Amino acid sequence: MSTLDLQALLPVILLGAGALTLMLSEVYLTSGRRAYQSGLAFLVAVAAGLAAAVAPERTLPGGQAVSDGFSSFVICVVCAGLALSVLLGRGWLERRGIERGEYYALALFGTSGMALLGMATDLLLAFIAIEVMSLAVYALAAYPRRGQRPSEAAFKYFIIGSFASALFLYGSALVYGATGTTLFSGIGRGGGALLATGLALVLAGLAFKVAAVPFHAWTPDVYEGAPTPVTAFMAAGVKAAAFALLARGFLAMVAGTSVGTGAQLGGVLGLLAVLSMVVGNLFALPQRNVKRMLAYSSIAHAGYLLVGVLAAGSQPSRQSGISAVLFYLAAYAVTVIGAFAVVTALERVTPSPDVEAANPWDLSRFAGLAKSRPGLAFAMAIFMFSLAGVPPTAGFVAKFAVFQAAVSARAYGLAVVGVLTSVLGAYYYLRVVVAMYMGPARDGEEAEHAPVPMAVAIALAALAVVALGVGPESIATLARAAATRL
Amino acid sequence: MAILLNVVLFLPLFGALAAALLPRGEAAQHKSWALLVSLVTFFLSLGLWFNFDGARSGPEFQFETHVPWISALGIGYHVGLDGVALLLVMLTTALTPIVVLAAWKDVQERVKEFFIAILFLETAMIGTFAALDLVLFYVFYEAILVPMYLLIGIWGSENRIYATVKFFVYTFAASVLMLVAILYVYFHDGGTFDYVAARQSLSVTRDAAVWLFAAFALAFAVKVPMFPLHTWLPDAHTEAPTAGSVILAGVLLKMGTFGFLRYALPLFPEAALQFRGLVAALAVVGIIYGALMSMVQTDMKRLVAYSSVSHLGFVMLGMMAITAEGVTGSVYQMLNHGVSTGGLFLLVGLLKERRHTRLIADYGGIAKQVPWIATIFVIVTLSSIGLPGTNGFVGEFLILSGTWLSRLKSPAWYAALGAVGVILGAVYMLTLVQRVFFGKLDNPENRKIPDLSLREAFVMVPILVLIVVMGLLPQPFLETARPSVDRLLGRMQAAELRLRQAEPGLRPLVGTEPPAVAMARPPAEPAPGPAPEPAPSPHGSN
Repeated sequence: MSTLDLQALLPVILLGAGALTLMLSEVYLTSGRRAYQSGLAFLVAVAAGLAAAVAPERTLPGGQAVSDGFSSFVICVVCAGLALSVLLGRGWLERRGIERGEYYALALFGTSGMALLGMATDLLLAFIAIEVMSLAVYALAAYPRRGQRPSEAAFKYFIIGSFASALFLYGSALVYGATGTTLFSGIGRGGGALLATGLALVLAGLAFKVAAVPFHAWTPDVYEGAPTPVTAFMAAGVKAAAFALLARGFLAMVAGTSVGTGAQLGGVLGLLAVLSMVVGNLFALPQRNVKRMLAYSSIAHAGYLLVGVLAAGSQPSRQSGISAVLFYLAAYAVTVIGAFAVVTALERVTPSPDVEAANPWDLSRFAGLAKSRPGLAFAMAIFMFSLAGVPPTAGFVAKFAVFQAAVSARAYGLAVVGVLTSVLGAYYYLRVVVAMYMGPARDGEEAEHAPVPMAVAIALAALAVVALGVGPESIATLARAAATRL
Repeated sequence: MAILLNVVLFLPLFGALAAALLPRGEAAQHKSWALLVSLVTFFLSLGLWFNFDGARSGPEFQFETHVPWISALGIGYHVGLDGVALLLVMLTTALTPIVVLAAWKDVQERVKEFFIAILFLETAMIGTFAALDLVLFYVFYEAILVPMYLLIGIWGSENRIYATVKFFVYTFAASVLMLVAILYVYFHDGGTFDYVAARQSLSVTRDAAVWLFAAFALAFAVKVPMFPLHTWLPDAHTEAPTAGSVILAGVLLKMGTFGFLRYALPLFPEAALQFRGLVAALAVVGIIYGALMSMVQTDMKRLVAYSSVSHLGFVMLGMMAITAEGVTGSVYQMLNHGVSTGGLFLLVGLLKERRHTRLIADYGGIAKQVPWIATIFVIVTLSSIGLPGTNGFVGEFLILSGTWLSRLKSPAWYAALGAVGVILGAVYMLTLVQRVFFGKLDNPENRKIPDLSLREAFVMVPILVLIVVMGLLPQPFLETARPSVDRLLGRMQAAELRLRQAEPGLRPLVGTEPPAVAMARPPAEPAPGPAPEPAPSPHGSN
């Protein structure tokens, strides 16, 4: 392993080392002051992102992972997600007095898995990366330990996640049986029913991870039950990493297999995309629980991302498809973290973790927010408009790029389904804005001021959403450059 | 001079950002600031008006700026004005300070947000008319929804939330398909979103053009709104605060008709020729239906809202005539409607501010109490029903004569039914005036209504001036629109030629029937020429 190889792996190494440091620091901590832990985690996230940005282009020995523009972009997105979630988690944990170094350590471990997932070009390495990521996130979901919801969420997530991992692993084994290799580049060597079954199982496993319909059933419960900062981290990070692998894998499959198999895979993916867009948006429609609504919306957004991945599979729109997916991931990450951050800021702290507040995320919590907390309400409005895809926000540019790629790939039907379902989206996102700006103010309790780190995270996310909507040039160019170097 | 358009375009936005820094409690500062910014914008836009080269040989688009915006996606920042766009920009910049002044006392809550929304809206409206890049246009077109949605939803009356969500979802749903159409255009015109380039090099099959035209037309038809897609309008207009109604009626509806004129017709002329009969028929249905609905309303605002459906039907009818008179009249009627319906909403707002009711039955005989408001209301009403000497007459006359002479199938029917709409218009508007202002003053509540204040006089005077000036001196406005109208007709004629090559036996489609050509050449002169249809009704005179 040369220095350049190490340099290419530096983001993963930094994240892992940071996680270990945080674990140890907790062991030797005597003063009980933990403010530095979140600071350290934040710095590691920034450093890993920077390291990814300057990582050399390299294929690592054995060809199981590469460092290229695509992986750099994905790592930057997950690191940005991590940094924001750390800020968010700090405020949330401190309020409840359950801040521990392990929380940040787990988040860093999870992110190292995500980073590796962005680089993986081998089914086995991808499996390891998925497990590193998932185990950390299972634990994070159960982090508060007491209280029913987190445990239930973590348990469901663990069971279903393990099931998905098993599918993925079994699929990989079948692919190995058919082709004699687990490398993406070697998929073309085999053929027949064995390979097709294997690839289908791998796809199914990934569809679980990205929460595409019909493999989405776990999402609402888990997103709702997990502590909100963890949900934000899952929605931004896990989704980005899983989509990175899905995109890489799908492109390799299309390139490697015969035209017929490629078209079949595309058809399956197109079906998943349509189902995700329709079902996600339709199920989000009646939700009064904002957290659950955001969970269903994340399913819908997985559908839009799948449209981009699918477009990337056809030759003329390959680059625009990949860069659209990358841009979408970045835009969705900042928007959804921001939205969950506002949800976090509005959560009441119950006197004991065993007592759970009734309807903590009900729409009525948002009623009259524009009067009592104008800044918070304005930020939430920006996030909602971005999720709905209204210009001039990041969400619009992202949807635009994805549909542009789809039209370029002549997938007109997908584009039309996409824009029409996004109208449904406008309806339920607007309901939050209606509650905040037009609903009667709640009397009695005042919303507490958000803790400083949380407020910083919200402000950063809102700024990013507007900046990506008004001046997306730099990020769009980066995404395009990343797409050419895949 | 290109910089001037950019300044006019973004000054309100920067004004809004600056207003965000002012403290929330300082309501007076926010009002004054918004008024100052919108006035400066208006005076700067006068620079555009006086520097515009309206000669036929002049460049089609002026004050152009063309720089890349999101080059990774092929989107450019391309703005510029032709005559029609210039007129509509002027309408926007003139109405905004009026609206700000009108909202002075009306808005008591969340003053800061209100005026920020108005200024943001102004930039988006100007941008919609100035954009020459399809995506830039779409961005401005959609960006309008956000502040308008907030204006109706926060400051509207009882049923505001239903109205605003309906408004947003309706318009959003209709316009997303236009986005797909824009993307399709991108891949069939050599990979550009630039409007001018796309118009040159777009090559799509006949079938595809039909679908594309349908997608654009759907988006614009909802915005206009054309029957039967108008159902959001009565709710939105009625529930919106006065300022919102004035902007909705004055400018936002024009974005639909402007969209037809700028995008749907020139980009897909063959498809437009194919469907003009249908669109014109819907326009006529809208004229009659809107007028009939207006006659039975008990709520003043709703009445004016339905009258908008009727008036916008005229705009669409004139446009679909595809004759010089019809299209010119259509453009002129866009301005007229902005002025007179805007004025009516302002007046209804004045009354509502005083009596807190919009029901016609609650008024009656108040002319004695408020002679000034009554006088102005009558003048604006006369303009709205197209009495000769007011702006409304010029527009309606041009539209009806242009339709009569056009090559629509059986054009006389369209014109005659349109003329019926004019008469119905006189009926419902004069009935309204009579029931509100004349008769017996029998409600004691109405004895306490104060007359026009000085501020309100400043709001109404510009409207009155415009009504008279545009009625007596239409020439400068028509001349400004002329080159754009001629270019559009040229484009439609070229399309007709192409159609005829494919199908030699085709009857003529564009322009007027031959004997009429000489007579109707100078479209600006309303007086001479035998007008075959009843001139806008004599009911209006008294």
